[in-house]
Amino acid sequence: MAKTLQERRAERQLMIVLLPSLLLLLAFVIYPAIYSVYLSFTNEALTGAAARAPRFVGSRNYARLFNDAKFWNALFVTFVFVLGSAIIGQFVLGLVSALALRRRLMFRTLFSSIILLPNAAPEVVAGFMWISMLAGGDHATLSRIVSFFGLPTADWLQVFPLTMIIVVNTWRGIATAMILLTAGLSTIPQEIYEAARMDGATPSQMFRRITVPLMMPTILLYMLISTVSTIAVFGLVYALTRGGPGGATELISIYIYNQSFTAYQLGYGAAVAVIALLVSLVLGVAYVRAAKVEI
Amino acid sequence: MSAAPPGESANRLRGDLMAYATLSLISIFCAIPFFWLLIASFDGNAQLFLRWPETWTFANYLRVFTKEDGAKWLFNSLFVVGSATVLVMVLSGLGGYALSRTRAWWKLPFLYSILLIRVLPSTALIVPLYKFLLTLNNAESALLRPIFGSATRDIMRWTGFIDGYLGLILVLATMQLPLSLWIMKTFFDGLPRDYEEAALMDGATMIQRIRRVLVPLALPGLAASGLFAFMSAWGDFLLPLILLSSPELQTLPLGLFRAFLRINEIDYGLLTALAFIYLVPAVVAFGFARRFLVQTFSGGVKG
Amino acid sequence: MKKTVFGGLCAILLGCASTFVQAETLRLANHGQAGIDAMKSTVERIEKKLGVKVEVVEYPAPDKDYLSKLLTELGAGNGPDLFSMPSTAAVADMVEAGYLAPITAEINAWEGYKNFYDVAKKLAVSPDGETYVMPYMLGIQEIYYRKDVLEKAGISTEQPKSWDDLLARAEEIKAKTGAYGLLFPAGVSWGSGAFDEGFQHLIVGSKTPQIVTDDGKLDLNGEGVKDVFNVYKTLIDKDLMPVQPLLGPEPWVIPKYEQFPAGKLVATTCGSWCYIFDWGRESKNPIPDVTKVVGTWTVPGQSGGQFVLANLAAPWAVNADSANVELAKKALLEIGSVETQVSYAARIGNIPASKDAASNPDFQKLTELVPIHAVAENGTFLKQAAGFGTVAEGVARATDALLRKEVDAAGAQKILVDYVKETLGDEAVK
Repeated sequence: MAKTLQERRAERQLMIVLLPSLLLLLAFVIYPAIYSVYLSFTNEALTGAAARAPRFVGSRNYARLFNDAKFWNALFVTFVFVLGSAIIGQFVLGLVSALALRRRLMFRTLFSSIILLPNAAPEVVAGFMWISMLAGGDHATLSRIVSFFGLPTADWLQVFPLTMIIVVNTWRGIATAMILLTAGLSTIPQEIYEAARMDGATPSQMFRRITVPLMMPTILLYMLISTVSTIAVFGLVYALTRGGPGGATELISIYIYNQSFTAYQLGYGAAVAVIALLVSLVLGVAYVRAAKVEI
Repeated sequence: MSAAPPGESANRLRGDLMAYATLSLISIFCAIPFFWLLIASFDGNAQLFLRWPETWTFANYLRVFTKEDGAKWLFNSLFVVGSATVLVMVLSGLGGYALSRTRAWWKLPFLYSILLIRVLPSTALIVPLYKFLLTLNNAESALLRPIFGSATRDIMRWTGFIDGYLGLILVLATMQLPLSLWIMKTFFDGLPRDYEEAALMDGATMIQRIRRVLVPLALPGLAASGLFAFMSAWGDFLLPLILLSSPELQTLPLGLFRAFLRINEIDYGLLTALAFIYLVPAVVAFGFARRFLVQTFSGGVKG
Repeated sequence: MKKTVFGGLCAILLGCASTFVQAETLRLANHGQAGIDAMKSTVERIEKKLGVKVEVVEYPAPDKDYLSKLLTELGAGNGPDLFSMPSTAAVADMVEAGYLAPITAEINAWEGYKNFYDVAKKLAVSPDGETYVMPYMLGIQEIYYRKDVLEKAGISTEQPKSWDDLLARAEEIKAKTGAYGLLFPAGVSWGSGAFDEGFQHLIVGSKTPQIVTDDGKLDLNGEGVKDVFNVYKTLIDKDLMPVQPLLGPEPWVIPKYEQFPAGKLVATTCGSWCYIFDWGRESKNPIPDVTKVVGTWTVPGQSGGQFVLANLAAPWAVNADSANVELAKKALLEIGSVETQVSYAARIGNIPASKDAASNPDFQKLTELVPIHAVAENGTFLKQAAGFGTVAEGVARATDALLRKEVDAAGAQKILVDYVKETLGDEAVK
């Protein structure tokens, strides 16, 4: 079925409008990514002998990482981290905040500004804030709060490392979820709720039958982007635990850093990053299937 | 509509109380770590661990602007991030619409790839990016130098790719484009076509259609996308770190490094004061964008 | 057609001419506010003496971020003309990458070099025999102890004669005062500190005094390494050093800036800057009368002898790709001058590498540093090789396992050897 002239012209107009974005993305995002994939097959480094004369090493980087038990550990830790902080933590708290803030309450601006603050703090500072909260045993702010209530203190980052970083990352990302879900909620017309209420629907019925289905595209979008950005988290967790103790919090990003730390081995780091990319791709497809949403 | 039955308002009251309770809990959770930040910034001898200051002082804040270049950093950050945000909003507003309506075969792979690429750590991407920008920079410099001679350096501060405003703005904007395009596309997808049809009937061109009809309806998406772009670019320190060198161009996140004095010696007072100043524009931007975030799907094409 | 060619040629010529008219510019990278302040007068001198314009570019202070930026630029060929290296370990790798210009001829012909301490000159020579860096400052570490606490408890303040003597002293401190006896930085959180501020000082006096063999391999399987780890194990198992803070982030905050001034930790390794910046007149919580209250011991050898280990502190080098290599080298020599060294000593607290600094009146004002400067005459050093950074990380991981009481000394050695082999290849370890 040939496109009509008008259709083709409309399509061309759309392309023109999309062109600047396309060019920018090609130059600054897609090209470096393809180059990274190429790098993953070399032993390129930023310093050391390999920096002067990088060699093509084929799939040696990949063989090395598949044989490294720490790589698989890093994948597992990252999975738990993403599940705990992005899928559950941030989403639930963000949704609850978004729903609560729709009501006509007092202090709405104050509440939402406070919830935004964790996301607005620069990563370096957020790192120090949580070091102050969790490190140093009795010095930690959390310890002082806990002992105020008469409970025993602990060296939080050593005893509950993965739990703590999930809590910290949840803290950091509630605002993202809240903002996105608020925007999503607002696309649902009030009339639907009114009609449902007239029919005697309970709040939970309305939530399950109206809110969630109509919000699916937004929820899916949130899941995708929060998974991707949580996989990329590095600085905050590194500052707190350096990936320890014993690899308990060694995310993929920290694994890359620890492996390539001395000679800035770009090649090996790129290989691990490519694997992370493939994993995200699989997850992305899984999300879309589960949400039954048409993209 | 007659008055609501008595059960209704009791329900509403209970719902409101629950909302207050949950919001308070979440807010307390979010606010606790900032307690140290606030107190240490007024502490004359700030420490890493929370303590009640022996001397309360404004000196840390004053130092940011008098001894350090706080004003310059603030201006640079606002200018660079603000420009990038505006650019992102325009490009994603138009591009998101195009992506939503187009039937190109490469739409799906393109959308997925730009989003998933964000998984690659920036440390892997920065090296090829830098080399590419350097090539562009040298080409630009070769073009401008014969015309402008020694003034080229000053011009390149604005139009250069390395160590220039233009390069940083473009790269920051591009980094936020994937998410913004996705958000706008999702929102345009959700808008029923009848509004567009109505505008088409009135003979509007595509740009006019977008501007007059669709953008107001997709305002929540635009606000979310702009807000995310702003906050993400506001917090980015890797790109300014690698791309900028001149002191005149330094942005706020780089200014934070001034608090690292020697090995293991950090000026926590300066760090926390600067961090607090840093928070203000983000909160202001959020307050501004909130209004648009909750624009409900009312009005539209009535009558 | 001819007109356009002619016009084009004119434009090119004009462009060339305009660049010639400007004075040469040297780009100099500096990081850390203290370093930038220290370099101010040197920059002025360079500009005056060489008739060039010096553009000081401020790089971020933390070493990790500094190196990220510097290496990215060097890799792309856009690096500054002159820069410093945050650690000696980075030097060998940068030499192998071809980033540094050799300065052997220039530095040996320079008057000022004859006056440098031998240890500085030897440290500056890379494995290939060339010199690539200006070794103008030395980092010297010793054991700093609370004289007042020891005297009050009736414990000897004599220089410990051997490792056993040192450990016995630490036990005595614990028994008589209840405070921690001796801190050697350890663990992954302390970064390279486990190696820089502890391990290397002990290894130099052990059965394996040098880690690098003549054929460039790393001798990590020897007795010496195991014995050093045993010292750590003793300190940890007998509760002679604080363990819990070292497992978490910012591990130095509690032991060095809280416990030591309070007398709850009685001895720790530290660098010459500690007298001034950690506990002295420039610190946030100074110990009153610090030079009387805090004394220093050199690190004893395993079975005797005293070892003062010297390292290069932030040596400067010239970019091999610089457009003005010759000018940059001349500027480098100026950085090596005694005035620059004293300026740095005053701001950062490291030791000048020139013997002449002793007669410089400004340096003499830094009374805490003068005796340490004199001791540099007998300094020893560890031969450097590429891959030292990996060894440092391996030591950090090995001592981390010791802190968690997961291994014994032999197990710690295995962790170190395995890590280095895994990162650098099996052939790198002897």
